[in-house]
Amino acid sequence: MEYSKKEIKKGITAHTIKTDSFKTDLMAVFLTTKLNRENVTKNAIIPMILRKGSAKFENAEEINKHLEEMYGAELDCGIDKTGDNQVLKFYVETIDDKYLTSKEDLLLKGINTLLDIAFNPKIQNNAFEKDYINTEKDKLKIIIEGKKDNKSMYANLRCQEEMFKETPFGLYKYGYIEDIDGINEKNLYEYYKKLIANCKIDIFVSGDINEEEVISEIKNDENIKKLNEREPVYNQKNMKLEKHEEREIIEKADVTQGNLVLGLSIDEESKKEKYVAVVYNAILGGSATSKMFQIVREKHSLAYTASSSFLRHKNCIFIKCGIEIENYKKTLDLIKEQIEDMKKGNFTDDDMANSKVRNNCTY
Amino acid sequence: MEIIENDKVKEKLYIEKLENGLTVMIIPRKNTIKKYIIFGTHFGSNDNKFILPGESEEKSVPDGIAHFLEHKMFEQKSGINSLDTLTAMGVSANAYTTNDHTAYLYEATENFYEALDEFMDYVQNPYYTDENVEKEKGIIAQEINMYEDYPEWQTYLNAIKCMYKNFPVRIDIAGSVESIGKITKEMLYLCYDNFYTPSNMGIAICGDFEPEKILEEIKKRIIKTENRELPKRIYPDEPDEINEKEKTVNMNLSNPIFTIGFKDKVEDDMVKKHIGLQVLMNTLFGKSSKLYKKLTDENILLGSFGMEYEFTPNYAFALINGVSREPKKVIEEVNKEIENAKQNGLNAEDFERNKKKIYGAYITEYNSVEETARNFLADYFKGINSFEYLDKYADVTKEYTEELLKSVLVENKEVYSIVN
Repeated sequence: MEYSKKEIKKGITAHTIKTDSFKTDLMAVFLTTKLNRENVTKNAIIPMILRKGSAKFENAEEINKHLEEMYGAELDCGIDKTGDNQVLKFYVETIDDKYLTSKEDLLLKGINTLLDIAFNPKIQNNAFEKDYINTEKDKLKIIIEGKKDNKSMYANLRCQEEMFKETPFGLYKYGYIEDIDGINEKNLYEYYKKLIANCKIDIFVSGDINEEEVISEIKNDENIKKLNEREPVYNQKNMKLEKHEEREIIEKADVTQGNLVLGLSIDEESKKEKYVAVVYNAILGGSATSKMFQIVREKHSLAYTASSSFLRHKNCIFIKCGIEIENYKKTLDLIKEQIEDMKKGNFTDDDMANSKVRNNCTY
Repeated sequence: MEIIENDKVKEKLYIEKLENGLTVMIIPRKNTIKKYIIFGTHFGSNDNKFILPGESEEKSVPDGIAHFLEHKMFEQKSGINSLDTLTAMGVSANAYTTNDHTAYLYEATENFYEALDEFMDYVQNPYYTDENVEKEKGIIAQEINMYEDYPEWQTYLNAIKCMYKNFPVRIDIAGSVESIGKITKEMLYLCYDNFYTPSNMGIAICGDFEPEKILEEIKKRIIKTENRELPKRIYPDEPDEINEKEKTVNMNLSNPIFTIGFKDKVEDDMVKKHIGLQVLMNTLFGKSSKLYKKLTDENILLGSFGMEYEFTPNYAFALINGVSREPKKVIEEVNKEIENAKQNGLNAEDFERNKKKIYGAYITEYNSVEETARNFLADYFKGINSFEYLDKYADVTKEYTEELLKSVLVENKEVYSIVN
């Protein structure tokens, strides 16, 4: 596997990964921008609008027909938050030509399709297509309203919201219902133009590829040529978190199982501490040998899911458990005991070694 | 070793039946870092009634026992759980139970052979005690509760309950809190001794291996050399007709989900039928279909339709699912589209395009070593070699697919399950 990157223009980077381990080639465009209350909802709806049609492909049906012709290439558009940034993500995955009887240039077709979707939207009178805006606004509303449908995910989100109140990371990546009405085809297009002029742009292509050919295809793509150089505007890593007293938030729902999430913030933020946190998390709840799994699940039979995860971008650990609601206090006390145990250094050299070998293999 | 080569996906399968009856399948994959092995038995949640060799009386075990047994396999006499031992070696181990099989697996980037010692040992050595069986009941009860709160699982299982009156596929794989409460260590040993016998088991391996070498390594670690006669499985009679038309439950979802099921019959060539139904359903309801456009433009359907065809040698059904604020309306539109296609036939261009799409999907399945090995094992228990999907692909014609439309997607075999 060979990785290389090349700056196409200032602020626009192409990354290539040459590998023949897969049957498919994968290409992606990531647009990274600041996560903030003002723009969060607009950023969330943009990939949805772009997925509906481009200057080249009239509507979603045309896009989908084109993808099916490419032996069912997958196009995925979505939104994520990474630390204090929002990332608009676009992916195309297609099988490699060598698994076909004829030469179809699926890789190049894939790159062209991807860049077309991300940077060449369907525009009328200097605005996005009005019909698309209306359906996608409704759809986004439905997505945001559906936030509570998956209870364990919802408990996670609520914990993050509370921990990061009043800071970018506390925002919901899909935005807020009250913003939706104010979005229209004109102001969203204006915003989109600003976004693609200033955001950090990364283009990734991986597969059994010829790097030079791929880079030249990207460089010479009409949509890329149109993009300006930029000093990309996005948030640098911010690990600082206001110190909080312990807070307990309880929400009731008609469910069979209760979801318990504990968010812990890590005070230190040196580079070394990051590795310490990885090992700490592995011992606390990162695997089947961890305290959470061994004590909460195996010893006390309180849960099936009992684990913790380390969120690198925010220097936090989240512990989660699915439990009988009546066992809440008991489980919470038990988890606190485990954290206390970690503080006291109640873990063995074996625990340390296990979590290190595990992390070597996983990352 | 027998070698089967597929020139479309450019992969080779090395297959060998060992003296004790165990089948080993190796799919070597150069240039991968991850090594994957899966060891399974043809014993799943459907196998709740059987007659032991030499006996005449039918034995019945509690629902969820195959899954319970899976949980308990990691337990060792030494008191050290095998999952812990494997995890400590830095390999990622797991297990799962389906309707027709149970499988144990791990993936490794390092320490593969060290882990193989532990792995082969624990799958071949059960250790159940009254105490460790009792302890597991609380954990599995939480697993069952977790699934109770998954709307996707509920709509899926309810669709199956609508289709099947008697067949145990209608029972939750994990059983119920009540049924697992009855499980004892004696019952676990009974199931283990009779169904974890080499001729009822298979191993699939995928990764950067020399086939001969890994086969030798497996052979070295075989404990059971004797093969035992298998019990006769007893399945209840299942009528062709559906059980009930519709099931709706309320889980306070802001976005309801639905599953439409079509109860089908098992025929000779299930692989071809599977391909045909995938092409058919994608042509009718896929992302370039008229129906999809209509339903998404009006935001009646959120996301896209999920389409599946599931079968074993005992039963078969097709499922269409999705998320919608007006599930009844979607169901109505789906039915209209089916009727319309029956009257007018499939559009040739749409058919060909969706056939290409399905080809791409089959090739893509070989991307990961995990999926490759899992597919070969699951298909093996159905009596299929996974390459058949690529080999029979060309045999699926528009005419054949139109026949399926008329014989499978029929109104009196159709059920609806909704979670609001």
